[in-house]
Amino acid sequence: MGRSHSLPDRLLERARVQPEAVALVLDGERVSYAGLHAMATGAAARLRALDLPPGASVAVRAVKSPETIAVIAACLLTRRPVLLASAELGEHALEALLARAGCAALLDGPATTRLTAGPPVGEDVSFMLTTSGSTGVPKIVPLDAGAVDRFTDWAGGRFGIGPGTAVLNYAPLTFDLCLLDVWATLKAGGTVVLVDQERASDGRHLAALVESEGVEVVQGVPLLYRLIADASDSPLPGVRHVIVTGDKLSPRLLGRLPELFPGARLYNVYGCTETNDSFLYEITGTEESVPIGRPLPGVEALVVDETGAVLDGPATGELLVRTPFQTRGYVGGDAFPDGRFRSGDVVSRDEHGVFTLVGRNDFQVKVRGTRVNLQEVEHLLLAHEAAADAAVVGVPDELAGVRIHAVVRRTAPGALNSLALRDYCRTRLPRAAIPSTIQVVDDPLPSTPTGKPDRRSIIENLRNGS
Amino acid sequence: MDHSYAIKQYIVREFIPDVTPEELDDEYDLVANGVVNSLSLLKIVNWLADTYDIPLDDVDVSLKDVVGVAAIRRFVERTARQPVPALAEN
Repeated sequence: MGRSHSLPDRLLERARVQPEAVALVLDGERVSYAGLHAMATGAAARLRALDLPPGASVAVRAVKSPETIAVIAACLLTRRPVLLASAELGEHALEALLARAGCAALLDGPATTRLTAGPPVGEDVSFMLTTSGSTGVPKIVPLDAGAVDRFTDWAGGRFGIGPGTAVLNYAPLTFDLCLLDVWATLKAGGTVVLVDQERASDGRHLAALVESEGVEVVQGVPLLYRLIADASDSPLPGVRHVIVTGDKLSPRLLGRLPELFPGARLYNVYGCTETNDSFLYEITGTEESVPIGRPLPGVEALVVDETGAVLDGPATGELLVRTPFQTRGYVGGDAFPDGRFRSGDVVSRDEHGVFTLVGRNDFQVKVRGTRVNLQEVEHLLLAHEAAADAAVVGVPDELAGVRIHAVVRRTAPGALNSLALRDYCRTRLPRAAIPSTIQVVDDPLPSTPTGKPDRRSIIENLRNGS
Repeated sequence: MDHSYAIKQYIVREFIPDVTPEELDDEYDLVANGVVNSLSLLKIVNWLADTYDIPLDDVDVSLKDVVGVAAIRRFVERTARQPVPALAEN
């Protein structure tokens, strides 16, 4: 009989064959595989005591900690679909999300709250992730156990993760990136080095952590590498694989990577929550711009024009993709037509079949690695009773990738200020979608001849400091 | 001068220019409301270090320390190399 590919089976096996090995490290605290297993067993008992309906899902408020990982593991071991809810979600947004997912309970640290269960999401579902949509309720992406098993097997093999391999986890636990740096690592018996969310922007700390914990695999958005590169001149020769994902790599940062990680192979990986990783490109360091490369084994990638017609050969158009790792469709939504996901990303494919990301075809931007729809933020601001008009723009930012700037015209002087608007946004938006600057004005906003907000001139005004 | 007021002046000037220092409450949550994020943390901390003589190399700092004006004032009281007289009187 072959070895099980199932993630929960393999977690149990790890606890049995390497109980003393370190599974998790956070701020110097080490949790062995036996320790993680004990914590997960405790959490599973708490879960059983809730006596939830069979097949009902639960939500975990995913503060980054070994305890949270143990609770998620308990859900996997008891075959209970688990929604990973961001610890940064506003209260209204969280309530709406739990209602949409139909979760029967919310596990928030040691606190458990019973909820009214909705219809089951499907027996095979293990993780439920959320798209980083910007307004109130993100879409929920259920992943079948099979999809998770295939992905974790691929990732562990591709990046040489085995017993004892230390892998850095930079992303919050709700991000799909964790399927690689947390779950593929635990499945393979490696050590997950968790970055404390509170210190995630401290480049010196990040470099020291990679060095002192002997990290061999690093995955993160370009921001991670920028922070390390800016804080540290000394190379990190112990790293074997560097995975850049989630955003475009600037040419300046690209040039720094080979010297920073002299012992590492460098990859640009493209994917999204719905499909997980779908493209991989190995970086040489001499590129002017970095392609997303070729589809991973088993991935089908189509380029289509505005009418949806499939383009052959060298072409530019929207990317449609189907992967062995993907969801069948959103909770409460239809299955993707022909199993193909419309990425919303415009790509170009060259004569060698190598893909390059051109941009988004809508108002999507990425803020600190999180996808935000500017138009949705704008609609939310417009819905405020004291807002007469609003425009939201993304401004390129060296560190954050993009920062969000909002201009709001109030109905009357004194009717509104940015503090009140922030209070309003806080309960309705994830943190990355809250504009970093909000300008409240009494004069009409610049507009185009067709009466739409003139985003270009708003950005120009901002650059000129007016 | 009251140090809370100086901190408010700085926050308002740098991050929320449409607001007056008087409008900013001591306990207003700067992090949850998106005024301050992990990236602006360094900027604030550098300003505090310059203004109040805080030895950054010896001090652990996290977002919790800048969650509001009151928290920032406590951070300064705890970490400033010289006792800050106006604060001690409060």
